[in-house]
Amino acid sequence: MNRSSSNSEGAKAEQIIFEFFAKSLHIILESRTPFMSSRNFSGDQMICSPSPSCSSSSSSSVRPRDKWFNLALRECPAALESFDIGRRSSLEPLVVDVVLVARQPFVGDQMSLSDQDELACETKNEQVIERWLVQYDNRKVREAAASRSSSSNSKLQVMYKKATLLLRSLFVMVRLLPAYKIFRALNSSGQICKFKLVPKVPTIVEPFTRREEAEMQKFAFAPVDTVCGRLCMSVLYRSLSDVSCEHSAPVSPTFITDYVGSPLADPLKRFPSLPLSYGSPPLLAFQRRHSWSFDRFKASSPPPSVSCSPSPTRSDSQALVRRLPDIPTGRRKDEERDFSPPCSPSGPVSRGITRTESAPVRIPAPSFESKQNLVAPSPRLKLLRQASLKPVRNSGGAVESGAGLEKLFLYGREEFRRSSGVRLSTNSSPRISFSRSSSRSYQEDFDDNDFPCPFDVEYDEISDPSSRPGSFDQRGDIHEPPLESSGSYPKKSQDAAVGALVNMLKKAPPLRQDVSESSIPEIYWNNNKKPAGAHDVAAASMTASGIALAAKTTADALEELRSYKEMKNVLLSQSTMGSSSVTTSPFAVSGS
Amino acid sequence: MNCEVCQLKELEVESFEIREVLRCILHTIVFHRALGLIRPKDIDLELFDITYVQCGEIEVEKKIDETIEHFISWIDKHPNKKSQICVSFYEVKSKQPSWFNNKQRSYWEQWYVNLNVLHQTKSPSHHSKLVMDTGETSEERSSRRTMLEQSLQEVLFQIIKFVNEKKDHVPPINDGVIYCPFEITMPSSSDSTFGMDIFKRMLHSGGHPSMLS
Repeated sequence: MNRSSSNSEGAKAEQIIFEFFAKSLHIILESRTPFMSSRNFSGDQMICSPSPSCSSSSSSSVRPRDKWFNLALRECPAALESFDIGRRSSLEPLVVDVVLVARQPFVGDQMSLSDQDELACETKNEQVIERWLVQYDNRKVREAAASRSSSSNSKLQVMYKKATLLLRSLFVMVRLLPAYKIFRALNSSGQICKFKLVPKVPTIVEPFTRREEAEMQKFAFAPVDTVCGRLCMSVLYRSLSDVSCEHSAPVSPTFITDYVGSPLADPLKRFPSLPLSYGSPPLLAFQRRHSWSFDRFKASSPPPSVSCSPSPTRSDSQALVRRLPDIPTGRRKDEERDFSPPCSPSGPVSRGITRTESAPVRIPAPSFESKQNLVAPSPRLKLLRQASLKPVRNSGGAVESGAGLEKLFLYGREEFRRSSGVRLSTNSSPRISFSRSSSRSYQEDFDDNDFPCPFDVEYDEISDPSSRPGSFDQRGDIHEPPLESSGSYPKKSQDAAVGALVNMLKKAPPLRQDVSESSIPEIYWNNNKKPAGAHDVAAASMTASGIALAAKTTADALEELRSYKEMKNVLLSQSTMGSSSVTTSPFAVSGS
Repeated sequence: MNCEVCQLKELEVESFEIREVLRCILHTIVFHRALGLIRPKDIDLELFDITYVQCGEIEVEKKIDETIEHFISWIDKHPNKKSQICVSFYEVKSKQPSWFNNKQRSYWEQWYVNLNVLHQTKSPSHHSKLVMDTGETSEERSSRRTMLEQSLQEVLFQIIKFVNEKKDHVPPINDGVIYCPFEITMPSSSDSTFGMDIFKRMLHSGGHPSMLS
């Protein structure tokens, strides 16, 4: 009888010890495990965040585990499940290392130029900033057993009370130690950190060196005597100066830029901002730049195509790659700037970039994927890929998937194609016949979202291939399938196509010549700037400039031309003013 | 019963800091003595980079806030004085049930929070303005703030250490009792406030409802 009761007490004591281990672990992990990286911070995770509101009220019901030591903790399943405490023997000491992992991106030319995708610009620098030790010391077993008396039940109660007190202290303590400040920084929504906090329960504990141990401070909680031993808890921790000086440096703005644009980071803001993003200051600056350079090209009309030959493009993209790490404040800005020289007159450059931003959200996958498959590797292409991919990788996931990256890359290519096409078109009237066919094929083959691409194809088709032999193949590869599938524009030899175009151009009314330079980019922009619902209108406007040429009267065309001209003038005049907000209005007008 | 006493390190605070500092200390003390089922509540201080824990009981929060307001108004009347706030935990034991039905409080623990309030220039309720008004330069202010933050942290550590070292005197956990009954007094207030408190204590000597068991 007495024996069985003592056994049950022993079992109870063991259970208390086990629960004490579990609770200790929970308290430590809960205050050391950032529930999500701040990059992916969202409302869901906020339930677990350390803010006052949710820490206490996330769930009002009392779970069985909460009753242990009368301490209801926040649900921290991920953290707890990752450590299978259930299989532990209570006699084994529990060690929890809180490791600060610093990510230090390479900043330099060498890295960017080399093709180190998976390096991900990351070296790891780990430092154990806290080591918690919870152990059950049963060396006193005999002594305790000898002194066991009839009051062992009350001893259990005392033990339980003391364990409860110890856990209260632990709960306060974990919030006072320096690591908690890091935890808070990581969990705060607005902050992106170069480091992460990783609590570990190592199976094999690597002892600190003497030097390390000397650097750390120790706090030992007073042990709790149990029926047959004692519960001990202690922590070794680094002081705040050790921790903060090394790791809490301000974060490079590069990350912030991408973070803001990341749909993962802010999925709700993403959609409303989509149309607006086209009018964002950097883009507008870019557009202005284009209108200027476009003008310049127009002035010196004959040789512009030279400037957009593959080689400058290549060198430029290299330059971009080199510069990217050094200019942290905006991958997109950089891209725009760096892409602008080879493709200065084209609006679609900005379109490509902004499209890239929205890639995970909106881009209609099928049509692009079909193109994607057809991408032929070329030196220039690789460079472009580097140029567009690197910053994204650096940012650690601004674009959500490989597909998104590919799209980004495709857009980069298209920018160049488009730009060169536009420049060539400034030579004369080919635009007319070209736009006509383009709009036709576009409407037949693509939904509204896609139309810029086939439209682009036409530019490329019309541009003189012989002037850019290197890039032509590549373009042809990409755009043939849409053309074939359309049926309306059967595949023919390049010469034949050129011949046909020349014929059409010759027949075309002269009034279109002026327009082509300004109108076509405008159309692109219109389409780009449209949210999904407005694409029909955009498509219609395209039709007007393309298919409807025949149906339209010359007066209509003239009217259209005038409106475009006006817009061009407004743009040109406003570009001198440098005010980004003003330039949005002409686009808005043109879209309506 | 053995009454353990803990004298906490004195803190030099400005009047606008009193509220946060006292909340932090008092809640931390009470949290360690709230042995019933609680849902701890983390509170980040606004003036200091410190997170403290509340036991999540509204009555406790209310009681502490009232005490603090009381203390602040007393400080307003008695500027530049060192002051002491005492948190006393007690058990109610009914001794000699008499015509007065008196239940005696048995104090088992006392915490003395020592504050030295500086620059008593304005009402603490306008503490945000005070930051700008005092003659201190921003550097002095920030270094003083840092010092106070460290001292406050030391006080919190002191509380933890005391709680750890002294456990035997804490009464056993009673079912349904969320926190050990306590009172907060200001021994420095030798004026009527203190007297009133004693009088109130006599009037309400029926004890805390949770102690009726």
